[in-house]
Amino acid sequence: MNDTQWPRFEVFQQDQDGRPHQNAGSVHAPDGEIALQYARDVFVRRPQCISMWVVPAEAIFAKTAQELEAEPLWQESTSESRTAVETYYVFQKVSQRRSMTYVRHVGQVEATSPVQALQRALGRYGHSESYVWWVCPETAIVKSNMDDVQSMFAPSLDKTYRMPQEYRVMREMLEATSEQMKTEEE
Amino acid sequence: MSPDPDSELKQALARLLLAMADDELVLGHRDSEWTGHAPILEEDIAFSNIAQDELGHAIAWYGLLGELTGDEPNELVYFRDHEGYRNVVLVELPNDDWAFSMMRQYLFDAFEMVKLSKLIESLYRPVAEAAAKIRIEEMYHYRHTSNWIKRLGLGTEESNRRLQGAADTLWPYTSQLFVPLPGEEALLQAGYVASSGELHRLWNDLVMPFLEGAGLLIPSDKSVFATRRSQHTDHLKVLLADLQAVARMYPDAQW
Repeated sequence: MNDTQWPRFEVFQQDQDGRPHQNAGSVHAPDGEIALQYARDVFVRRPQCISMWVVPAEAIFAKTAQELEAEPLWQESTSESRTAVETYYVFQKVSQRRSMTYVRHVGQVEATSPVQALQRALGRYGHSESYVWWVCPETAIVKSNMDDVQSMFAPSLDKTYRMPQEYRVMREMLEATSEQMKTEEE
Repeated sequence: MSPDPDSELKQALARLLLAMADDELVLGHRDSEWTGHAPILEEDIAFSNIAQDELGHAIAWYGLLGELTGDEPNELVYFRDHEGYRNVVLVELPNDDWAFSMMRQYLFDAFEMVKLSKLIESLYRPVAEAAAKIRIEEMYHYRHTSNWIKRLGLGTEESNRRLQGAADTLWPYTSQLFVPLPGEEALLQAGYVASSGELHRLWNDLVMPFLEGAGLLIPSDKSVFATRRSQHTDHLKVLLADLQAVARMYPDAQW
């Protein structure tokens, strides 16, 4: 049976200047341009966002710390062909504390293959709390540009009618629920 | 500067605001009918997002109308019969296939782009300010729909055929978008709007080369649907019955 599902793209979102791009989830889309639009529609309906990247999932080379421990990278059957050096983006999960936090962008390395990129990333960015690693070539990333900020991200800030609290019915339900919880605690 | 109460200018402005608000409300409602039914989850969310934006724009225009005339937006939306609505027929036609809704949204988004690019220069400040805000969202709608028109138009034989069919059906209705409202002359003289004729030229310049670039033929049906906005099809009655049912069942409820 043919797979009729569109390819999956991983979505990275930056909340404000100086903060890293963080993985927000994924979307299915026919191509990168549409993926970027869907990423905005799915993940930026309310929160703050100033920049987004989407990457085809198949362009991401991913390893967990356990996988690397069980099977260090040098054992991977790599055909280190003489391909050109290119820039790889490195993403890392560095905390087990918050379930919503997955990998975030930590930097770039130059490499001729994903395996080499990860080897270099391990050397440069590795520490005791590196739980998950993703690397992908920069050329695979579709980025929002500065012109997108206004029309893609800014409007979501003042659409208060999208907030449940905007509606009296919801406000009263929330108040009633918290009253009830207080009563039950007592 | 604000128009004198009861002047021809004020009445013309009120007509314009009502027409713009009704277009957005009815199209937003049609779009929202796709929620839960769009061909793919991401597009369902994206199109629902557009539907909600259109309702938001309707709220903005009804709000300005209310400031001008004292009309209550909820009253206008839920307790006005179809004869009182001033939307174009283009937005009240029932959804058909996905190509139909996408083409309708594209044609209307293009209209919004040219209309708003002029309204941001309106000498009636409240309209210029609202237009500036709404235009930012419309730029995104236009991007979404034009990207899909390109992909469907240049996609498969079937997607092209369906999209061409939608364009052929919808094309004659677009002319109603450019029928001058009664009193347009007064709005023009006050510097509140650009003329319908100018908007039509700008719209043609935007839409025609774009559709051709998307592998579509400009529909050859030159018949023009240019009735006044007080004329509606029975489809609007059905739509309003759905939209207004709950509010009319519980007229005193507070939401």
